[in-house]
Amino acid sequence: MDDVTIRLGARGLSKAYGAVEANRDISLDVAPAQIHAIVGENGAGKSTLMRCLQGIERPDAGTIIVDDNEVTFTQPQQALNLGIGMVHQEFMLAPDLTLLENLVLGDEPERVSLGVLSRVDWGVARTSGETLAAQAGVTIDWSRRSASAPVHVQQFVEILRLLRRGTRILILDEPTAVLAPQQVDDLFALLRRLRDGGTTILFISHKLREVTALADRVTVLRRGEVTYQAAISDTDVDTIASHIVGGGDSSVAPVRRASNRSSVGASVFDVTGLSVPSIDKSHALHDVHLSVKEGEIVGIAGVAGNGQDELVECLVGLRAPGDGQVRLRDADITRASNTERRARGIAYISADRRHEGLAIDASVEANVIAGSQRSATLKRGYFLSAARIRALARDRLERLNVTFGSLKSPASSLSGGNQQRLVFARETDGDPSFMMAAQPTRGVDIRGIEAIHRILWDFRDRGGAVLLVSEEMDELLALSDRILVMSDGRIVGEVEGDKADPQSIGRLMVLQDREPEPAHV
Amino acid sequence: MSDQAIAQNNGVVPDAIGKGFAFVFPFIAAIFVSGLALLAIGENPVDIFVLMANEAFGTERRIAATLSAATPLLFTGVATAICFRSGVFNVGVDGAFVLAGLAAAYIGFTLPAAFGVSLIPMAFVFAALVAAAWLYVPGYLMAHYEVDEVVSTLMLNFVALGIAGYLVNGPLLSELSGNNVTPLIHEAAHLPRLLPPSTLHAGFFIGLLMVIAYGIWTRRTATGFEGALVGLNQRFSRAIGISVPGAIILAMVLSGIVAGFGGASHAMGQLHRFVEGFSPGYGFTGMAVALLGRNTALGIFLSAVLFGALASAGTTVQFFSDIPLDLVNIVEGTVMIFAVVEISRLAWRRRRKAA
Amino acid sequence: MIVEQVLAASVIMTTPILLAAMGGLVNRRAGIVNIALDAKMLVGAFVAVVVSSATGGWFVAVLAAAFAGAFVGYLFALVITRANANMIVAGLGLNVLVAGVLGFILSWVYDSSGTLRLPDVVLLPHILPQSLEAIPVVGEALADLDPLTVFAWASVAVLPFLLASTRIGLWLRATGNAPQVARAVGLPQNGIKEFSTAFAGFFSGLGGAHLALASIGLFNEGLTAGRGFIALAAFYFGRDRPVVTALVCLLFGFLEATQIRMQTAGLPPKLVGTIPYLFVLVALCLAGFRNQRRKALS
Repeated sequence: MDDVTIRLGARGLSKAYGAVEANRDISLDVAPAQIHAIVGENGAGKSTLMRCLQGIERPDAGTIIVDDNEVTFTQPQQALNLGIGMVHQEFMLAPDLTLLENLVLGDEPERVSLGVLSRVDWGVARTSGETLAAQAGVTIDWSRRSASAPVHVQQFVEILRLLRRGTRILILDEPTAVLAPQQVDDLFALLRRLRDGGTTILFISHKLREVTALADRVTVLRRGEVTYQAAISDTDVDTIASHIVGGGDSSVAPVRRASNRSSVGASVFDVTGLSVPSIDKSHALHDVHLSVKEGEIVGIAGVAGNGQDELVECLVGLRAPGDGQVRLRDADITRASNTERRARGIAYISADRRHEGLAIDASVEANVIAGSQRSATLKRGYFLSAARIRALARDRLERLNVTFGSLKSPASSLSGGNQQRLVFARETDGDPSFMMAAQPTRGVDIRGIEAIHRILWDFRDRGGAVLLVSEEMDELLALSDRILVMSDGRIVGEVEGDKADPQSIGRLMVLQDREPEPAHV
Repeated sequence: MSDQAIAQNNGVVPDAIGKGFAFVFPFIAAIFVSGLALLAIGENPVDIFVLMANEAFGTERRIAATLSAATPLLFTGVATAICFRSGVFNVGVDGAFVLAGLAAAYIGFTLPAAFGVSLIPMAFVFAALVAAAWLYVPGYLMAHYEVDEVVSTLMLNFVALGIAGYLVNGPLLSELSGNNVTPLIHEAAHLPRLLPPSTLHAGFFIGLLMVIAYGIWTRRTATGFEGALVGLNQRFSRAIGISVPGAIILAMVLSGIVAGFGGASHAMGQLHRFVEGFSPGYGFTGMAVALLGRNTALGIFLSAVLFGALASAGTTVQFFSDIPLDLVNIVEGTVMIFAVVEISRLAWRRRRKAA
Repeated sequence: MIVEQVLAASVIMTTPILLAAMGGLVNRRAGIVNIALDAKMLVGAFVAVVVSSATGGWFVAVLAAAFAGAFVGYLFALVITRANANMIVAGLGLNVLVAGVLGFILSWVYDSSGTLRLPDVVLLPHILPQSLEAIPVVGEALADLDPLTVFAWASVAVLPFLLASTRIGLWLRATGNAPQVARAVGLPQNGIKEFSTAFAGFFSGLGGAHLALASIGLFNEGLTAGRGFIALAAFYFGRDRPVVTALVCLLFGFLEATQIRMQTAGLPPKLVGTIPYLFVLVALCLAGFRNQRRKALS
């Protein structure tokens, strides 16, 4: 074994995308043959950090350390050559090739070298595959087509492929997100065996129980900064959770603005017994009940990937639930199309602004009037009127103070905050009675966040009902009149907004995580 | 298929600075390539181009010939653009055009001549119905079963040619004149010629009407607006409440109607019957027209006239100077290829290499 | 007698389609739907006639045709890989361009419109002794056997191995099947696509040479008669598997060979000619329905 103290590290690493600082002054040490967990919310800067460590992204400041030496990566190949390899969430296996073909792809053994015309020596390939598998303590049916192999086996093959090509530092991006519990155990056994064999592992996860079960050390990222580092033996799930969600930090926390109504009104939006079966990579929903009343913001807290996306899609009509009922006022809209729901007054702020919230290449004008194209107010006689379209667009944009160059410039020319305000301008016009807001401030700078919060408050104070899904604890605390906590596709707790604190919510969020789940046994 | 170069959407996508250049670039390439061909045979390209311009636009008669040649392209260009801007890669306009021509001719020679002028609208409606139904099939399959529309429409072209070829050599064969033609349609059903002896006929105005209607549809109707958004971003369109399958099928059907009118116009105005080889690839030239015109009404009109000019000038230049008519194909092919090349990407590469 | 003639004709008619289909299949395995096979066949046919007449050697002619096809294919690939052109439009454009260029050369250099007859065109030889004709059923087919037909069927036998077991075969399949994976493991994707397109051009060129030199010994603008698209239909229906695709080609060749006879039997040849294309439509629909059902089930 070599005499190295830091296998992989970072010193003062910073990286900004425009106004958004994805990484700020990050320092990190990973010792050889260690499993180091990186945890944090979506957007906390984990993927940017990983991209820097792999040489895909060049940091604005700071250095990367490999084997105690400072290195500068100008291209990913350099990181690969130093033995840094990553297992992605979307596996990098060609589905129609066999597992063995995938294992050797790009570095095939040959008997006689004829360049690209060489015949691949499948015998040698298979032997090396079996040796690797034996070292890792797994058995693999190498002649199987990748797409037909179980997910965890695909993952094993991807790990083995990296090892075969000389990877000493493995980065795994949420490797358990797609695995069943038994498969998780198998993966962990493999990772421990690899660590004991000398491989260094960076493990990115949302699931704290897994982190404490597997890792030797943990680093918490929050808003691009390292907020906590500890050896696993010196910490526990609650402590880690509290650092992930933050919330104690009053300097950045938005000010809470309570409802100006003496009492909330009648129930607007009711969900009863909503269930969705899990299909390949999506997460199931189990018997979800919730209701949102007039003039109320109900927040949904939870670690990412616990069924929030599926809930949102079911509620706005982009996914059909397996079971249960959705009601708007007195109408049953469970089977109503997305178009019909919008007509009945449901507004939708998509979490994926660039791909679903906006047609980013279309003009500002088209984006802000989209959805109203069939409305009679835009027509003069039989046809749409350019003047009325322009007037409506201006009216909507000005009402929410969206800054834009020209109505005809593409939506992509706006800043993140203005893009999102544009979405709100479109969605809140015509006084919808219910708003489904998913991650409304993702990728928006501080000033933009304040503006969007004000929009949500105003909407509520006019009597609107809001369901807010967010991973930002501060945001939930500032905006919500009630907070529901979601875990593993269920609502596991409810807290009044003015009585809520990050610690109690954080505990609810990871509750399911810590207790053995009878459902899976 | 979501190439930006193809799903150009007017009205919704902001005007890019390079738009004018994007229109000119394929033509520069085509002039360059055809110029090389001319140089190779020892002609002065400039002389020939000037001669061609004169032949295409020099006199009233030449202009009439150019517009006559442009007429079918107005229809096929619009029919193609309707689909392209909605992100539907329909390459089956040619087949729809051919079947529609046969359908129109069928009405024109089977119904009693006593119907008189009313044969014309009947023929147009029947032709449009046939063509729309024809393209509805791949549209439906694409919208509901994700059947690749490129291959299905491409294959349907050959099927259409086969069916038309069978009918025109069998059940609908003219008894009077040899092979591969139907009987002539009744004289009353002829579209009037505008500037005899030129073949320019009233179908040109119908084509112009199609271009104008297309322009209005893209900018002034809800479905036109929806089509452009579907072409740009299907996920967004769905979230905003647009029926994506509906938009796809509508694009195909509208495309069929316009192609159908085109086939009817060509049969009733130009040939006065259906013949095998009814379309020398009007549908494909229509693709070049739509691509070069960047799916805008004005662009389609200009491109159609340009290709019409090439075809008519090519024919006469061949008489005067031995320049093969195939020059037209060289230009058309080059335009098609370079209309989809990403110039920006080429420029970017060069810059990166320099750095 | 009829059986023998039909069999012999079917084999001959199959060869050009088969060659183009094998090329297009490899191309599609690498992720490129080559819609310009027809253009490359046309180039091959033209070059074959010209070179055969000029040199008096069929082998040189065939080789020249193949490399001409490969060269056109390579240029076509460059437009797709380096300039990011849409492969369908570029392919259709190439078909038009090639027709234009060949027509231009034909009328300028040879002063003929449409057809090129040159003196001393050497046809493909028959490789087996003509005395074999006496064998019942297969005799005529054997006696007519030409080197390109043998090569075509040999390629059907060899391609599965090349695709499965050689490095380039593996790379090709990976590039077409999962481009992001190919990029991640560092395969030269553009090079692979260009190679596969040149390969398709090479085989299409051979197919064109066979069309021109198997029996007629002249070039005509309409010589290919859409065979490039029939080849496309064959490997779409054969799902890019060489042996299945070859059998589909044989069926298409048989349909072509029996067209005249079908006409006398009252079956319209024009309608029979649409069968290959209907095949593809059926295959596409079945795949679509199957996907839909799978989605509905899960």
